Amino acid sequence: MAVYKRTYKAYRGPLTPAWSRFTVLSRYGFSTLFESRFFTAFVVLCMVPFLVCTVFIYFVHSATAQAILNLRFGNNIVNSGWFLGFLGVEAWLGFIVAAWAGPGMVSKDFANQSVQLYLSRPLSRAEYLLGKVSVLGSLLSGTTWIPALILFGLQAELEGHGWGWNNLWLAGAIVVAGLLWIALISLLSMALSVWVKWRIAATALMIGTFFLLPGFGAVVSAVMRTRWGNLLNFPYLITLVWAHLFRLSPRHIHVVGDHVPLWAAWAVLLAVCGFCIWILNRKLKAREAVRG
Amino acid sequence: MAKVIELDNLQIRLGGRVILDRLAGTLSGKCIGLLGPNGSGKSTLINTLLGFYRPDAGSVRIFGKDVQGHLRELRAQIGYMPESDAFIADMTGVHFVRYMAEISGLPPGEAMERAHEAFFYVGLGEARYRKLGTYSLGMKQLAKLAQAIVHGPRLLLLDEPTNGLDPEARQRMLHLVQEIRDTGEVSVLISSHLLRDVEECCDEVIILKEGRIAALSNLEEERKANLKFLELDVTQGNGFMESVRALGCECASFGTGTLKIVLPDNIDLRQLYRLAAEHSVQIRRMNYRRDSLEDIFLKAMAAGAAPAATPPPPPPPRSAHGSL
Repeated sequence: MAVYKRTYKAYRGPLTPAWSRFTVLSRYGFSTLFESRFFTAFVVLCMVPFLVCTVFIYFVHSATAQAILNLRFGNNIVNSGWFLGFLGVEAWLGFIVAAWAGPGMVSKDFANQSVQLYLSRPLSRAEYLLGKVSVLGSLLSGTTWIPALILFGLQAELEGHGWGWNNLWLAGAIVVAGLLWIALISLLSMALSVWVKWRIAATALMIGTFFLLPGFGAVVSAVMRTRWGNLLNFPYLITLVWAHLFRLSPRHIHVVGDHVPLWAAWAVLLAVCGFCIWILNRKLKAREAVRG
Repeated sequence: MAKVIELDNLQIRLGGRVILDRLAGTLSGKCIGLLGPNGSGKSTLINTLLGFYRPDAGSVRIFGKDVQGHLRELRAQIGYMPESDAFIADMTGVHFVRYMAEISGLPPGEAMERAHEAFFYVGLGEARYRKLGTYSLGMKQLAKLAQAIVHGPRLLLLDEPTNGLDPEARQRMLHLVQEIRDTGEVSVLISSHLLRDVEECCDEVIILKEGRIAALSNLEEERKANLKFLELDVTQGNGFMESVRALGCECASFGTGTLKIVLPDNIDLRQLYRLAAEHSVQIRRMNYRRDSLEDIFLKAMAAGAAPAATPPPPPPPRSAHGSL
């Protein structure tokens, strides 16, 4: 560096648009995440089901390929149930991505007390959160509803005969189901990270919420001989809502006791999202006032 | 001088307690010292300037703009160096400062260039590719200063910038602050417990006590207005003080053999020696002094906070030296 530059001077150059500042956080978030080879490899792994399903749709519509492999697929095999199955697999892969990436992005800032540095700049709390959530949102979208929509488009193209138009509701269901899942696990991941401020604990809590809480709910249902314990089973609730969105019967969903009503499933999922937003609003501050 | 910070009956309550109690005053120095004992509200005032706390009453303006009404605009013009460690441990120094510059609105290319310049400027050029977690305390303080100045702010808020620094690092930090101040492009507000730091850098000082302004004084004017006085350590001698007064000097005794004497221009120092000889008084120590910041601070602490809703008291009059 030139010696003449080693003095303080003000900056008078151009500035980026104010609305785009949150994208700086997203960009740095992506760059930090993809520094890990394991993470990069896992994200690539998340694409495997998509590739398999793409090949499958091709086989379903290619008589030549079926003849070569001596396979015979029935009619209407790629239906709403098939898409729900694909989304289910991708959603769990996405959960692992969120449990890995989410806590690290936020809890580090809290552990290092750097939130005050972000918020002392022209960046609001909402923009800070948007910058962080957009990383998770993009990753999860890339593993859930976007590949599902691509498969939908491929199926519509190969099937022809107005299949796409007749099943347009399915595209809507894919988008809504994907966004609901993304909102739930992104907000949960962020809220738990902000709450415990420790990456390992936040990841453990997230896994506990999705794997231990359902067990507790099942115990409650069995002991109390009620179905309401299932409200603690978030994977079940989301599957119930998805089944409704995909116009499928929830009969095949395994659960202790009877199914909870659909409205209750929606209410709990939305309440969890609302609670996460409340925690974020309470905890995401540059300074915490000590209440005397 | 342009107004930098205007406090208009600013009141902040946290947890049901009044932390800042109707602060009023205008600060227009190039380097403003913020002094006060622990719990006096210094950090709360800085956080309020940054818009982290919303005033319960009154308002605060920076460069004539209300902080709450122009938060984004003002934050773009403020550089903040917090007291506590605040960084991302697994980022390299230059990467971190570039990141902060980009959040402040600098395009990536310019942010990278400024980050390098800021690192060289604070003297960490050779350590800029090391991870922040490996920095020593002094290096972390300098890295915090680098991130505070990287976007070229108009107002620099430094919260205890010399905390935990060894004497050499402290001098370096103060030298940097003075250099930044002397560019004339940046106003600096330093919150510190160390009076010497503030005295070395600041031309204006605000002293808080229990959430109120105990003193608000322009050090430059104080320095100009304060008469130089003589401080003498003498053995007790009857009639010496009266004789000094008879010469036309103002004189005060502090009971332990210390005298403070203001010499008019027409009085020669030799006349004092003569009087001392006449009264058999030994002068054991003699030196010229001016009122130091320490005197101002101690007076402010002793006097207590200014009554609420009244403007801050003017600088203490010269007659406040002892019983002069």
